Amino acid sequence: MFNKRMLSILKRELKDKILSRTFIVMTLLVPMFMIIIMALPTYLMTVDKDESFNITVISEDNSLTDKLKDEIDKIESVKLGKSKVDFLIRDENGLNEYIEENKKDILNEKITGVVYLPKKSAEDKVLRFYSKNPNNKNVFDKLRNSLNQVLTDNYFTGKNLSKDDIKYARTNVLFETFRISKDEMIKAESKGNRIISFLLTFLLYFSLIFMGTMVMRSVVEEKNNRIVEVILSSVNSHDLMIGKILGSAITGLLQMSIWMTPLILLISTSIFIIPEEFALQIDMSLILYFLFNFFVGLITFLGLFATVGSIFDNDQDAQSGIWPIMMLIMIPFFIAIAIQQNPNNSIGNIASMFPFASIIVMPAKMTLIDVPLWQILFSVAVNLATMFGIFSLAGKVYRVGILSTGKKPKWSEVIKWLRYKY
Amino acid sequence: MNVLEVKNLYKSFGPIKAVDDVTFNVPQGSVFGLIGRNGAGKTTTLRMMMNIYTPDSGEILFHGKPIDNDFKKSVGYLPEERGLYKKMTVMDTLLFFADVKGKSGNEIKKKAIEYLEKFDLADRKTTKIQDLSKGNQQKIQFIATILHDPEFLVLDEPFSGLDPINTDLLRQIIIELRDKGKVIIFSTHLMDFAEKMCDYITMIEQGKIILDGKLSELKTKYAKRNVSINYSGDISFLKGNPMIESIDDFGNTTGIRLKEASQIQGLLKLLVDNKVNIKKFDANDISLHEIFVLLAEQNAGKEVQNV
Repeated sequence: MFNKRMLSILKRELKDKILSRTFIVMTLLVPMFMIIIMALPTYLMTVDKDESFNITVISEDNSLTDKLKDEIDKIESVKLGKSKVDFLIRDENGLNEYIEENKKDILNEKITGVVYLPKKSAEDKVLRFYSKNPNNKNVFDKLRNSLNQVLTDNYFTGKNLSKDDIKYARTNVLFETFRISKDEMIKAESKGNRIISFLLTFLLYFSLIFMGTMVMRSVVEEKNNRIVEVILSSVNSHDLMIGKILGSAITGLLQMSIWMTPLILLISTSIFIIPEEFALQIDMSLILYFLFNFFVGLITFLGLFATVGSIFDNDQDAQSGIWPIMMLIMIPFFIAIAIQQNPNNSIGNIASMFPFASIIVMPAKMTLIDVPLWQILFSVAVNLATMFGIFSLAGKVYRVGILSTGKKPKWSEVIKWLRYKY
Repeated sequence: MNVLEVKNLYKSFGPIKAVDDVTFNVPQGSVFGLIGRNGAGKTTTLRMMMNIYTPDSGEILFHGKPIDNDFKKSVGYLPEERGLYKKMTVMDTLLFFADVKGKSGNEIKKKAIEYLEKFDLADRKTTKIQDLSKGNQQKIQFIATILHDPEFLVLDEPFSGLDPINTDLLRQIIIELRDKGKVIIFSTHLMDFAEKMCDYITMIEQGKIILDGKLSELKTKYAKRNVSINYSGDISFLKGNPMIESIDDFGNTTGIRLKEASQIQGLLKLLVDNKVNIKKFDANDISLHEIFVLLAEQNAGKEVQNV
């Protein structure tokens, strides 16, 4: 399989790809992009928390006002003086007048909103909120607890219940989550693994398509450029294809390993400190499996992309001919995202051992739950078998495709190529 | 002695018989021309000789042994459709093409520089191919073809698309290599070049060999009823003359084909009697072009009869 001519092709391919601007930019840009994507929600949440508000609480009588004042003063942003809450005693008519009078301030958000506690609310807890932006969850979340507490306390007072009973009634159900694995102690589950699972899935998806398109273009270019026949006078088409695909796959593996270094450092050193709730339960063997699986997957898919490239002699036709292969990447990608909700669903189980899909679904599943060893080995066997199968088919189409120019071939003709003796 | 023997080659693509029982021999130290119309089967034959296509049947022997991938190392191939990697530099391109032929190291680097100097491109070593003019790209392509010092040079339509300066340059290289004892095979549909450069000719038409042999012998064989003349005056009176089979005006010379070889003296007398000023009268001379047209017509006629 390996000979000197193929190595010459491989060497050129490596040099061409690794020194290309796209490769260098992508290698650096993707981690930065990932950090931004992951940091953005956290950042937005902190911005939200800081948001100040100015609320008027209007109640029909003053029975609750004092207690409410005490509770609301405990809210961080009120304590710091950033936000302000005013209390008024009015009936429904008074409320309408108040809104009418202050409409301008409400519309320009000088007053964030008006909370109205009708008399009945002491019984049914139904409150009203008037605002320019009544769905602002942030303000709700801040006031809800205080209001709920005061109303609940008020309701049970004098009903002969202990403070503990009231406290119990007030609290919501809380799930503490634990992950059960075969060989380790039960550990509190964190969000970390779900993020990593998403990240690995995304990187696989992105890199397969990115490297694949790159190889496809370079095959089309060679064909379009007519350089291919010059090369074929020295190297046979099989060596050309393998050299090309291996060269690109090694480039891809190098890139992926660079992208993995933050993760490797994260789990093997204490350079990074991550919050308890994001703690990771993954080890080096998962990363190694991921890289091995990626390499096998890359070779398989690059074989397919190169084949499509060899069928067409311009980029546009090739782009439109690539959709069946895109489906082979995209469907497993969505399955891998979906199993984050329930890693053990049956589609996920089948996909994790199904040709092509296994490449993307299995690593995601392994990050989320403990997968039995036989399933992992089975998936490796399926992937290797797919890789070799694809190679012998791809080789047959490729050797005919790269020398056929002119008319865009029909799929039925491509199937005939498989039988050609070349 | 024959360096290369091509024996009973067949190759079909679906229903199309591209090469149909082709046999020929290439002698040592010769320039060998594979001629024929566009689509006659020349490129397919050359591709089989280069082991790019596998023949349906038949064999190709190099020094008496069937060709394999190692044979490719001793060949320099310049296909009709050619190209280079646009983003590679001149030097990287040359070294890559030598590398796939199994030649690398300082020796080849030195040789590449020598060739670049010879072709006036020594200062463009680090230039990217896409920044070279088309003519200079063609020069790089020649160097890439011969840099690994091939024993055998296979040139498919080498002169197509070349500017006059590069045409001369390539012709000069071909002659130089022939004088060094290399074997050169080229295919062309330009009879003029073939006639000027080839020692041996094989003509292929619809996948079949219709002519094969030493150019000088072929000419003698086909020239018996042919006369080529240079003249001034009017020869239109010859049209319709019962002695004449055909008249081909090539501009400077005119080829006249008679019905009988014995009528040559009669033709000369007729021209002199009609006060045509004869500058050159060459009996038994025929251009390759005329042979080609003649055979192509005969072949087409046979086709009709076969139907």
